[in-house]
Amino acid sequence: MTEARLTPVQRARQAERGRRFRQPAPYLRLACLVLAALVPLVVPSFQVLDLAAKIAIFAALVASYDVVLGYTGIVSFGHAMFFGFGAYAVALSLGKFGAPTYGHLAAGFLAGVALSATISVLIGAFSLRVKAIFFAMITLAFAEFALILAVQLTHITGGEDGLSPTLPGIFAVSYEGGRLGGIPVTGRLVTYYFILAICLVLFVVMARFIHSPLGRTLQAIRDNELRAEALGFRTFVFQIASSSFGSVVATVLGGCYVMWVRYANPESVLGIHVMLDLLLMVIIGGIGTLYGGIIGATFLLTSQTLLPHLRTLAASVFAGSMVMQRMTERWLLYFGILFILMVFFFPKGVIGTVRDALARRAPSPSSSPPHPDPPARGGCPTR
Amino acid sequence: MPPEPTHGSPPLLEVEDLHTYIGQHHILQGVSLRARRDAVTVILGRNGAGKTTTMRTIVGLLRPRAGAIRFEGRPIHGLPPYEIVRFGIGFVPEGQGIFATLTVDENLRVAMRDESPESRDRLPRIFALFPALERFRQARAGTLSGGQKQMLSIARAFVNPNRLLLIDEPSKGLAPIIVEHLVAALQEMKSQVTVLLVEQNFAMASALGDDFYLLDDGRTVHHGRMVDLVHDHALKKRYLGV
Amino acid sequence: MRRAAPILAAAALFVLPLAFMDARTYVTLTVAGLAMGMLIFLVAAGLTLIFGLMDVLNFAHGAVFSWGAYVGFSVALLLNQRWGWATAPSVTLNVLLLAAAILAAMVVAVGLGILLERVIVRPVYGRHMFQILITLGATIVIEELIRMIWGPNDQVMPVPLTFQGSWDIADVIVLRFPVVAIVLGVLVYLGITLLLTRTRVGLIVRAGVENREMIQALGHNIYRYFTRVFAAGSALAALGGVMWAMFSQSVRPAMGGEQLIFAFIVVIIGGLGSVTGSLLGALIVGLSYNYVAFLVPKAAIGINMAIMVLILLLRPTGLFGSGK
Ligand SMILES: Nc1ncnc2c1ncn2[C@@H]1O[C@H](COP(=O)(O)OP(=O)(O)O)[C@@H](O)[C@H]1O
Ligand SMILES: [Mg+2]
Repeated sequence: MTEARLTPVQRARQAERGRRFRQPAPYLRLACLVLAALVPLVVPSFQVLDLAAKIAIFAALVASYDVVLGYTGIVSFGHAMFFGFGAYAVALSLGKFGAPTYGHLAAGFLAGVALSATISVLIGAFSLRVKAIFFAMITLAFAEFALILAVQLTHITGGEDGLSPTLPGIFAVSYEGGRLGGIPVTGRLVTYYFILAICLVLFVVMARFIHSPLGRTLQAIRDNELRAEALGFRTFVFQIASSSFGSVVATVLGGCYVMWVRYANPESVLGIHVMLDLLLMVIIGGIGTLYGGIIGATFLLTSQTLLPHLRTLAASVFAGSMVMQRMTERWLLYFGILFILMVFFFPKGVIGTVRDALARRAPSPSSSPPHPDPPARGGCPTR
Repeated sequence: MPPEPTHGSPPLLEVEDLHTYIGQHHILQGVSLRARRDAVTVILGRNGAGKTTTMRTIVGLLRPRAGAIRFEGRPIHGLPPYEIVRFGIGFVPEGQGIFATLTVDENLRVAMRDESPESRDRLPRIFALFPALERFRQARAGTLSGGQKQMLSIARAFVNPNRLLLIDEPSKGLAPIIVEHLVAALQEMKSQVTVLLVEQNFAMASALGDDFYLLDDGRTVHHGRMVDLVHDHALKKRYLGV
Repeated sequence: MRRAAPILAAAALFVLPLAFMDARTYVTLTVAGLAMGMLIFLVAAGLTLIFGLMDVLNFAHGAVFSWGAYVGFSVALLLNQRWGWATAPSVTLNVLLLAAAILAAMVVAVGLGILLERVIVRPVYGRHMFQILITLGATIVIEELIRMIWGPNDQVMPVPLTFQGSWDIADVIVLRFPVVAIVLGVLVYLGITLLLTRTRVGLIVRAGVENREMIQALGHNIYRYFTRVFAAGSALAALGGVMWAMFSQSVRPAMGGEQLIFAFIVVIIGGLGSVTGSLLGALIVGLSYNYVAFLVPKAAIGINMAIMVLILLLRPTGLFGSGK
């Protein structure tokens, strides 16, 4: 009876809410979380715990990149740089001002966030205002610049060697908090759950962001910039807001990364390889899906962990052939080919493709999530 | 509504129930029209009715999702623009579309589909119609006045021996005296080429037009002889606000 | 006048360093800066035309540069190992070696360019995001192929004897190879300008850069022209690659990526789509880098970014940008 008095928007929301619990996605996400939470309790191997922590961090990092790439439609090559800002800010704050305290840790995060917010607003202001495509070029230049700076300013950043901070209190390696239900509570364990909690919070914040009025405006701009401009939106302001939001999230994750690996050097947190990994992960998981990062990060990080073993195996199998050995060494080549094939044939990634398949089987209006258009092949030759 | 049946020779251009999308937006939802040989057919309709979209679909800059476009009986929809215009169509887009950094002469040369003697022979005729273009032949097109730019754009469509000209709002933003000059030039060109004209300036439209088609919300809603429309105040008021 | 202003400002700026160094150093640095600028220009010219004509930002351009460098490297190595064309004290043989290396690199790059355009770029016209992603994917593959074929490490590029060392002109030391690079850069610029202004293809390309839709509505198959421009741009990148390899006397798989960043800065400074703008931007970048590297070594990396940001603030579409 009350149904009749609802506005169309309210009705649509209610329908969406109802559908939400009939779809498998929320349960799968919950399962991922539970799985991640159980890892340290079930598997005693540090290698597995290490992998799980990195997957959590990178899944959230890919999601934050997806906010910029998939939901706003602008290509940034500076995302790894903002990740690096967070990493270096936390590492410096912990390592350069005496014995590390919780205050140092918090200050590191805050400084990183402040720096990233400032820089990303500036970059956006003088690139997005002119031409969205400048953003890709300028972020690439800035990322390179940041990398060179980190290498050259040895007295601050430690140069190529980087920084190896120690963590305060309950995060310290040496921390022993007794046993809880038979499991020894170590600094590692505490750090792991701390990072997992932060990643969870960030995911919730990002999901809220893309479903907020601002997020919906961004998607409208992405789908038809001219129209959005005609409607009176100063599109670049929204784009700057979104790219800065994504950058800040990346910065927080950079801080988490340093908390986990206790190490930051230019190659590992600022290098072009971090950016390439991110791109691969977002493409594999699916652009414009937010949670695709979980799949992308799991796939790439797991295969990268296994690759050395594969290589040893290949080396023994193809011991005689120089060419075969070189071919197995160049695993990035295969990721590159995979990348191209994904962009061409599955531009929505694993998640998007599965979602579409599900939607086709059980058609329900407006259940298809926002996606950038797949590349047209042989379509109209003009825009 | 179906286009009126034609008697005798088939129309030069025939558009049938055209549907065009821009992005996800269904812009043209059934446009039909016919342009008789050696006549000026005017497309009328208020802002946003879909006149420009119709023109762009005909030349192939937009691809129709449904419907048919036939030029001299030959289907041309779905072909790329550079093939469509080579059948003998000249396009004068809304906002002129001249190359501002090129000179007037270069604008004309680039428009010649083949720099054949035949095209070159047309130049004197063009300069007779638009003397200003000859005077500023070596000037950058960007430095021309609005009226001169429009003349250049029309001249560019006229350098090839085209059978059909598509002209989109040539009078837009021009002073009345310049519009008069344009009307005079188009009157002269009328005898040599069929014209499909989009025009908001009703005085100009009625001075030049033989037939009219009225678009509203992406559909053809009316058509007939221009002379009849001039006296149909109710129709004009309803769709054109004049 | 509006076109002359940036040139005058730039010229004034480059007399300025003279106040902080003696004339001989200034000449040496200027020659080095001009050479560097010309080499960046070779990369930027193709990039800017490809962008201007089809709105395609080709991230794989740098990888083509690397390929050119490696092909040139292989040819130079072969000719030198077999017949000693680099070490022979013969100007003719030395020049022949350079020419052969360049020719081979350009031929391979043309093939690579056509392949890239047809297979990688063509399916994603008009979609910036996919273009960037797909050309980036191509970059990964092309660079990895280099590592697979030639190995991942730096290698020494044989430099012909004639181009080694320096001339001593009135007590001023002028390195030889940079002079060759400058001459070549000037020739290429003149060649491009002549092609663009004096030929029908050039006319259509210039018109297409300004308005892609209109050129099609005038009956020109823009894709045919674009394939040519893409191939020519790739050939120029490869030429830049060979020259850069000789200039720095080494080849590295990642060399193209680094040049690409310079080229992006140059293209932004000069204005997307403008060849003259790219030349000017490249010279500004090359010269200021060398002057600043001498005066304040630590600031050298930042100077190009600073110039780019400054230009974007003052003139958002670049020195010669159309603002399209
Ligand atoms: N790029 C575009 N994106 C979305 N809508 C568009 C676009 N171009 C035109 N339109 C819409 O299509 C309709 C028809 O436009 P148009 O053909 O230009 O009208 P007319 O020329 O009759 O004034 C308008 O409602 C306009 O808002
Ligand atoms: Mg219009």
